[in-house]
Amino acid sequence: MSAFHFEGLVWHWPIAIYLFLAGLSAGAVFFAIMLKHFKLFHEAWHSPFVQAAAIIAPVAVFGGLGILVFDLTRPLDFWKILVFYNTSSVMSMGVLVLMAYQVVLFAWIACVFHVRIGQLLGNRLAIVRQLLNWLVLQEAAITGILVILAISLGAYTGFLLSALIGFPLLNNPVLPLLFLISGLSSGAAATLLGGVLLRGNPNGVEVRFIHGIEIPLILVEIGLLFTFFAGLILSGGQSQVAALNALGFGFWGWIFWAGVIGLGLTLPLAFNLWMKVSADRKFAYVAVTASFSLLGVFLLRNFILYTGQMTGT
Amino acid sequence: MLVSKRQFLKGVGALLTGVSVYGATRTLQADSLLQPEAESETKYAMVHDENACIGCNACVQACRETNQIPEGVTRVKIERRGPFGEYPNQSYRFSRVSCQHCEAAPCVRVCPTGAAYIDKETGIVAVNSDRCVGCQYCIAACPYQVRYIHPETRTADKCDFCQKSRLAQGLQPACVEACPTKALTFGNLKDPESELVKLLKAKPSYRAKVDLGTRPKLFHIQTIDGEIML
Repeated sequence: MSAFHFEGLVWHWPIAIYLFLAGLSAGAVFFAIMLKHFKLFHEAWHSPFVQAAAIIAPVAVFGGLGILVFDLTRPLDFWKILVFYNTSSVMSMGVLVLMAYQVVLFAWIACVFHVRIGQLLGNRLAIVRQLLNWLVLQEAAITGILVILAISLGAYTGFLLSALIGFPLLNNPVLPLLFLISGLSSGAAATLLGGVLLRGNPNGVEVRFIHGIEIPLILVEIGLLFTFFAGLILSGGQSQVAALNALGFGFWGWIFWAGVIGLGLTLPLAFNLWMKVSADRKFAYVAVTASFSLLGVFLLRNFILYTGQMTGT
Repeated sequence: MLVSKRQFLKGVGALLTGVSVYGATRTLQADSLLQPEAESETKYAMVHDENACIGCNACVQACRETNQIPEGVTRVKIERRGPFGEYPNQSYRFSRVSCQHCEAAPCVRVCPTGAAYIDKETGIVAVNSDRCVGCQYCIAACPYQVRYIHPETRTADKCDFCQKSRLAQGLQPACVEACPTKALTFGNLKDPESELVKLLKAKPSYRAKVDLGTRPKLFHIQTIDGEIML
């Protein structure tokens, strides 16, 4: 059985990229909100890390949606997904969340950067300024809704696959949680990487804060991965076959152990712990750690998508 | 500000919990149980007698011609396993792979646009190709792997019991008519006088993957010859 082409394969790598980008966008927003709420407050818009998140989140979600649309066999008919809804379809509900998420995302970005936008506007476009002022008044509500939508979007990337009842590896209740947590950690990594590339201080309060959350996040992710596969193996039957097939010595087994567990989780965890005790963080440490995290999450999406479709019931 | 946010979050949280609990309780079976639709008098089903089937593929060819199915895809396949036993007492086992017209169809459940639907009049799982955008979610969701993308329309397609080609004219599906050994029986599951119901009551049958709760309406009568499966 070839790793990328086998009988029964329906969804291939574009879907993995889409799931990766949607999770990444949700994660970046989540951490930007946390940074503003707990550390930066009204100074958030000065922070290169919040700026990075404000760029990454919309670009990632648009990129993901673009890939999704071009992956349809009839891309020009994509609008039908927006018009017709099926309440029992995870995809329909996900599209609803995605639409709402994008609107609220831009509202939130407008709130955070309202001072800068106001400077740019000057005396022009009084209506936009009024709208901006109104949005700023609603910031608490916008932030709350955005947190909920970001978490929904992160979990949706997993629910999309777990609705496929014919594949025991995918039809697994832990999958949405696993994808949510890994999506959050990819968002954290993207925010850090973008922040230091925008000349953010690699030893700044933002990096310390995100790294503080990243360590428990990685530990939870390892626990969820263990639960995911232990649950499959203990269920026996085709679930066990699917789990052992995925974790074996084939191509995807190597991707899992070396890529996801090694590069994506163990190394970032080690770096994070090391940086916590060492006095200060340098650009290279932060960038490399974040890159490994991102690579690990990307490989995890591909691994789950492909190995999940390898064994049906 | 803080108090209003807390109240807001509480409200939204409660709402979301309610919605998700409601959603989670709607299992596959519950979908059809919750909707006491106006009971139709017709519910089509099919029986494939694997004792009679000789694997001649006449059904596949008839389906292809009747429904204009292009090369490369097919609505029905006959899978051959074997040979079992020693010459001259060898036998093969044939099984039909085609849409099972599930009562709780996973493809219908996942379709984002409602392009996959169950026809209320006949119980046939059908495709509204005008609505299909080709996301292939239904293809991935179908545990029987019988859906495909039609190369010309670029939409999802599969067996519809010849609903659009022959049923409307009062004819039997093409595969049933073409079968030289009368291995296929098609009929109304709700009519106790139908050949189909009489056959199902006379012979033991099985259905594929019933543990998934999809309640398929393609019945198989297992060969007596052939392998014993563990």
